[in-house]
Amino acid sequence: MRNDLDVAVDTPAVIARGLARRFRVEWAVRDVTFVLPPRSVLLLVGPNASGKTTLLRLLATALRPTDGCGSIFGCDLVRDADAVRRLTALVGTSAGAYDLLTARENLRFAAAMGARPDAPVAEWLDRVGLTAVADTPVRTLSNGMKRRLALARAWLSSPRLLLLDEPYSGLDSEGLTLVAEMASDTTRRGGSVIIATHEWERGMKVADAVLALAAGRPVEVGPAAQLTAADLAAAAGGKR
Amino acid sequence: MNGFLRAAAVARKDLLMEWRGRQTITATGMVALLMILLLGFVLGSEPGRAAAVLWVALGFAAIVGIPRITQSEVEQQALETLLLYPGSREHLYWGKGAALLLMLSALLVALLLLLGVLFSVDVWTHGGALLGVGMLGIVGLSAIGTLLAALVLHVRGRELLMPLLLLPLALPVVLGCVRLTEAILAGTTSAPWLLVLVVFDLVYLLVCPILFEVVMDEA
Repeated sequence: MRNDLDVAVDTPAVIARGLARRFRVEWAVRDVTFVLPPRSVLLLVGPNASGKTTLLRLLATALRPTDGCGSIFGCDLVRDADAVRRLTALVGTSAGAYDLLTARENLRFAAAMGARPDAPVAEWLDRVGLTAVADTPVRTLSNGMKRRLALARAWLSSPRLLLLDEPYSGLDSEGLTLVAEMASDTTRRGGSVIIATHEWERGMKVADAVLALAAGRPVEVGPAAQLTAADLAAAAGGKR
Repeated sequence: MNGFLRAAAVARKDLLMEWRGRQTITATGMVALLMILLLGFVLGSEPGRAAAVLWVALGFAAIVGIPRITQSEVEQQALETLLLYPGSREHLYWGKGAALLLMLSALLVALLLLLGVLFSVDVWTHGGALLGVGMLGIVGLSAIGTLLAALVLHVRGRELLMPLLLLPLALPVVLGCVRLTEAILAGTTSAPWLLVLVVFDLVYLLVCPILFEVVMDEA
């Protein structure tokens, strides 16, 4: 059985086996093992410096693991890094947009680089509510608008694995709806989503599973439905 | 074809940002202008010195301008996004290299005109040959410069490191260009230097994209 993303339904979206990353002598992430099935949303919680962003960057191939291994829809994080990049989109805490270019030019560039030069950029700008400022240089946009632009850039590539780092910060209610819409669109197409956030209450509304990190190590992994608010509050605050 | 389109997109983006910000061209133009005026004042503005002055000015302007082609990516926190696009990172090299080549070419044309005025050099008669040699030199400078710009990306004190790396590596290119420009202005030819220039250009164009990919993998 296959879905509209041409991914075998039984292929896990993410397999991480002892994934670890060290910066000089400091381990940012260590012994992270989990399997994320397709069509699911994983909420990644933990206090500051617990390794959430590092784990997302490992899964996006922005960093190489120091130890352990992992795959995205069957593609190895190291050996098939380019294939993984075709499958994933990372929305980081910074917009990563070029200030001197307009929102439209930024999206056109992203489309060309993602091998989708014919992507309907105007449609995507409309979808994230940036049509009115499409031809305005990004440097004049608010942080929230820049975040929306980053979401559009990721959405444009129709990723199978969407990695969102603190997606709720700096967004108004409309922007928050966009994030939820983006997550449900990805899972509907057979993909999966990982959301790293401090705002776990908001994330729990869309999450199927939770992975809590503390000092780079997993302290809680399980289906979202089985975790209580107290469990999550403790895990997100690093008190486990 | 896809690789060509990606490289073209990078070049277009860099040139558009440069057109709007005018940071690199202003910095390189100022350095080149100051070098020409200074050297002309110190050494005298005899036509025989024009070739050396031109390439020393262009070389120092390149030292200032080359780090900018990747630095803007870091300043705008867009480097990671750029590196996470699927496809070979060689395409980034060709795109950034092409943008640098066009910027340095514009500078070359401006400097040749300036040289014509300040050093009483007949740039119009030898215009084609001067531009041809100039382009060979700029291809070499851009090829090695694009690699070095990636190499010094995260290095503290890159302003010091860039000349230390670029000057020795670009020396055969700059020297070849000086000798060939002198020969053109004197109405003679210098086949050995032309060969040196072409060989170094080819070596840089073959080796640098591969090394760029390795360097960017570690970025």
